[in-house]
Amino acid sequence: MGDRVKRRFEIGILYSRSGNYRLVSDACRRGALSAIADVNADPESPVAFVPVEYDPEGNADRYAVGCAEILHKSSARHIVGCVTSWSRKEVIPVLERGGGTLWYACPYEGFETSDHVVYMHACPNQQLLPLFSHIVPRFGANGFLLGSNYIWGWEMNRVARDLIADAGGEVRGERYLPLGETDVARLIEEIRATRPDFVFNNLIGSSSYAFLRAYAVLGREDAHFLPQHCPVVSCNLTECELEAIGAAGKGHLSAGPYFHEAGGKAPRGYRPRSSFEAAAYASVCVLAEILADNPDAGWEDLPAAFAARSFETPFGSTVIDTRTQHATLPVVIGEIDGDGFRIVSREREVAPDPYLSRYDRTAQFGASRLRVVAP
Amino acid sequence: MSRNGRIPNLGGATAYVLHRPHPTAQTLVRQLSAIGLAAIDCWPELPPAALSADFVFFDVDLGFDEQFPWRPGEAPMPMIALIGSEAPGRIEWALFTHRANAHVVKPVGTAGIYSSLLIARQNFEERKQLAARIDALQARVAERHTIVRAVAALARDTDYEQGFARLRHLAMSWQMSLEEAAGRVVALAENEDGNDERHHA
Repeated sequence: MGDRVKRRFEIGILYSRSGNYRLVSDACRRGALSAIADVNADPESPVAFVPVEYDPEGNADRYAVGCAEILHKSSARHIVGCVTSWSRKEVIPVLERGGGTLWYACPYEGFETSDHVVYMHACPNQQLLPLFSHIVPRFGANGFLLGSNYIWGWEMNRVARDLIADAGGEVRGERYLPLGETDVARLIEEIRATRPDFVFNNLIGSSSYAFLRAYAVLGREDAHFLPQHCPVVSCNLTECELEAIGAAGKGHLSAGPYFHEAGGKAPRGYRPRSSFEAAAYASVCVLAEILADNPDAGWEDLPAAFAARSFETPFGSTVIDTRTQHATLPVVIGEIDGDGFRIVSREREVAPDPYLSRYDRTAQFGASRLRVVAP
Repeated sequence: MSRNGRIPNLGGATAYVLHRPHPTAQTLVRQLSAIGLAAIDCWPELPPAALSADFVFFDVDLGFDEQFPWRPGEAPMPMIALIGSEAPGRIEWALFTHRANAHVVKPVGTAGIYSSLLIARQNFEERKQLAARIDALQARVAERHTIVRAVAALARDTDYEQGFARLRHLAMSWQMSLEEAAGRVVALAENEDGNDERHHA
């Protein structure tokens, strides 16, 4: 087996090398390229990948162009790429026309399934719901909701509003900033005035870093806003952005399928530095296994390829739901501590529920929170 | 963006797909189950159990009235039209005869189905509420004659305005609608008249 001849497959890489979410994009790209190198070096795998890259430079309009270019100018039928939901929604029609598949390695807001997308990072029942189950009993149910002004923030905050209502809490404020905006003074004053129990942060990139730094200053002025009393919680913050946030991040919480830990198992000896890196790495590993079995596997073959099996990935043994093409994932909640996360809770396998069709508010918050109190 | 409504959870809902065996029906059933619904395809008729369904998708291209166990336009659940040929006569049948609450264009893909469920349900509920309001208003209109008789009975020797004011006062103190109060006043007046007549006899 060791000397088997490898078959070459072109694979699309569609990540921005610049722009305000570059750190996330770089982490995903690093994960995909590391997996390509590991698959290519693996004498047991009959697959050799040749990356075909396109850089949309952080411009949402250039993802569809890049996707079309990869599909037309190369033999690649599988593309690992996209960070924002905006860009993912832009490329889906191109994938449908060109018969391609996007392997999507970022958390997203759910309420989507496409035959042309494999969702390898968490949807809301794998991040938002368990995060709120964790924080409401510890900090309270009154939240302040923040987001960058596009679909991720709008939709995550919509679900958060429903969860807060179900928990008997109150939305103390809901504010959006344009992508890339770093003037957060007004947000900070509104949070100071409304004194929520927690802040749900769906700002991305530079807006998020500016907010966390300003919030740390607020915490020094008023102890209510220290992370042990009123944490900033999010579903997309990972190790890859901690350097940009610095000491201001300490004590705040994030939920995801993976945080980097020193010990533990590592498939192929690779231990990703963030869940973005892990999900992109996992995407390439799963694809390599599928192409090893069926070198012609295209989008229409994926449900059969996912059926009744699991794949070794940095998340563990990963199952992909054949109906929704979303991965079953661990759910880990971490508290920022230095340049990493301290794990505060962990569930090993949570099946995806992208439309939240199994949501049960009693199971979410417990019957006691829902009892109507007589006057 | 309205903050009042809440997107309903569709988990556990049942949908019937009334379409001949075809990739469209397969795609639809697969996508509905991905969204969390129990989806059942059938052709050419809806089975009796469909009466308790939460949604019915029906084929507009080849559909006909006898497929449905209810009179045209009286479906007890939201109806979603599956439109292939956009022939005006077929759309007329779906829209005016069967009063579709939403539609999906064929060939069916993964996009558009979730929103059609939400739009159909909202449309169906609004239409139902509107019909109930119209029924209530019609019932009130039908009571106009009773109100006139009650006002006349209460006015006696004074004017109409005072009679009406007395009726409103009675409705308030009896904690009932003007129409109900008028009904009671008329009944009481008729009793009194009957007694008077017997007395005089």
